Amino acid sequence: MASTSKSEQSYVQASLLAPSPFREDGRGLLDYRHIALETGVAPLANGSARISIGDGPHGIGGGIPGTEVLAAVKLEVEDVQTEEGVDVGRVVCSVSCSPSAYPNLTNNALDDLQSDLSSVLQQTLSHRSLHPPNLSILAGRKSWLLHLDVVVLTDSGNIYDALFLASAAALRDTRVPRTRGIEYKAQNSRATEEDVPMGDAGRSGFDTRALKKSTDFELTDYWDEGEPLGKSESWPVCITLNLLPPIHYLDATPLEESATMSRLLLFFAFPNSSSGNSVLQGMRLLGPGETDLQIMKTLIPLGEKYARDLKRGLDAKFHSEALRRNPATRNKMAR
Amino acid sequence: MAQALFDRRRVNGPEESFPPVYDSDEEDELSGSNLNTRQGRSSADIRPIYLKPGLINQANGSAYIETEKTKIACAVYGPRQSRSTTYNEKGKLNVEVKFAPFSCTRRRAPMRDAEDRSIAVLIQQALIPSLRLELLPKSTIDVFIVIIENDGIEGCVASGSIAASTALANAGIEMLGLVTSCAASVVNEEIWLDPTVNEARLTRGTLLLGFMPALGIVTNVWQTGQLTIEEAIKSMELCKERCLDIHSVVAQALLDSAKEQ
Repeated sequence: MASTSKSEQSYVQASLLAPSPFREDGRGLLDYRHIALETGVAPLANGSARISIGDGPHGIGGGIPGTEVLAAVKLEVEDVQTEEGVDVGRVVCSVSCSPSAYPNLTNNALDDLQSDLSSVLQQTLSHRSLHPPNLSILAGRKSWLLHLDVVVLTDSGNIYDALFLASAAALRDTRVPRTRGIEYKAQNSRATEEDVPMGDAGRSGFDTRALKKSTDFELTDYWDEGEPLGKSESWPVCITLNLLPPIHYLDATPLEESATMSRLLLFFAFPNSSSGNSVLQGMRLLGPGETDLQIMKTLIPLGEKYARDLKRGLDAKFHSEALRRNPATRNKMAR
Repeated sequence: MAQALFDRRRVNGPEESFPPVYDSDEEDELSGSNLNTRQGRSSADIRPIYLKPGLINQANGSAYIETEKTKIACAVYGPRQSRSTTYNEKGKLNVEVKFAPFSCTRRRAPMRDAEDRSIAVLIQQALIPSLRLELLPKSTIDVFIVIIENDGIEGCVASGSIAASTALANAGIEMLGLVTSCAASVVNEEIWLDPTVNEARLTRGTLLLGFMPALGIVTNVWQTGQLTIEEAIKSMELCKERCLDIHSVVAQALLDSAKEQ
């Protein structure tokens, strides 16, 4: 992120392009730094997760701060008729960059960066193909507005991968409160009982009076966190391929990023964990470098392979996180 | 201050007002969504392009592009001295996009919002690999794009990139080649090029390619929605071929405008 001199850039490029390439921390071209994931870090949110790529002072990495990202999901009730609500619910993503993460940027540049990161997240995650099915409350009246807010605490390269990993983990951790529709009846209920014809003989197939009676909703159980957000396995992961023709490499540090002229962001989702087929959920080319179409055609299947490995790691860690958190709460309740 | 709609610089309408909904508009929307084959053109056809450079005399370079319902005017000012005091050995490209308030179906507030910036970033990404910015130290090139009528975001970015590249050539700024851009959308199993906003609603994924035919390099790729890898690669191939055709249109327009002067 900080400016680097031409000789520094050429030094980094030469070592990456060498016959046996080496990087400043000794990793291979396709190796990620150590990724740490923790879910449930924001107790007031409906779902949250914290990702750290390249651990900070407490772990491996020698005291160099890694990329730390915190994502949290907050559900809000939205009225379909009077506000901007949609029947099936909405998903809104936003990224905010802590000024301590980017000490060299002015306020305006920081706003622009936030806006750019938010729009990449929003365009990919809010697409209707990924929309979770259980975000509506009352058809035509109330629905859930899902706010995904991601905060960048430190940036040490590879920010897009971190953003999407944290978002996927937070969305998988999200629980939607269970609701039930209720209707309000007037005081003299005896009058209404006589009016409505009882028994099947009096009811016509076209009687739709029963449908729209729910005017409000309530939570079935105040203490229940709710059901998990639907389609939780199919949130995409991001792979950033840093392009330095003829090679490419993953997980760049800030110095390596300043020496790389173009990056290809690939977003892969794996909607069917059993069949294992993948869909390309998004693609973005960034940077002033020159890219060849033939090279891009070879990069996309390679990116899919890396994404599959990353997803497998994310699944495994997420399961162990879920196990870690559930026995603990069960013990607390027993006391 | 009542909500964000209160604009101090303008005479505001009533606080609560809604645009009228016409019966015929609803019918159009419904009929479009039932069709499986494309109306009016084949799946590989793009809409005809009208491109005229040099319409804005005050600017160093300008271009106006019109493709059916997308109308965009672009003006280039530069290279001019950079406002920042730090030394930059490469020139800077600054792209600003503005939607006219009457450009969309619902009136857009004249204030800048996130959508303006995301389109500007995409157009900037398409242009940057084509310009020789290392020849312009301490300078800035300002590209101002006004969207007069808008028929889908992909169409705006594609047409905006073409207009901006034409305007930069019209301004005489040194570049490696012209950038042309084309969008593709996947509807059921077919790939439709240059989708309108109604067609974009039917699609499950769109891909936009910015290409420089002179050197054969890709300058911009933007894909949203769900596509398989094969569909994405096929769309990029189709867009690339179409970009070669658009390039001849742009070259002809620039040649005609140079002959007139």
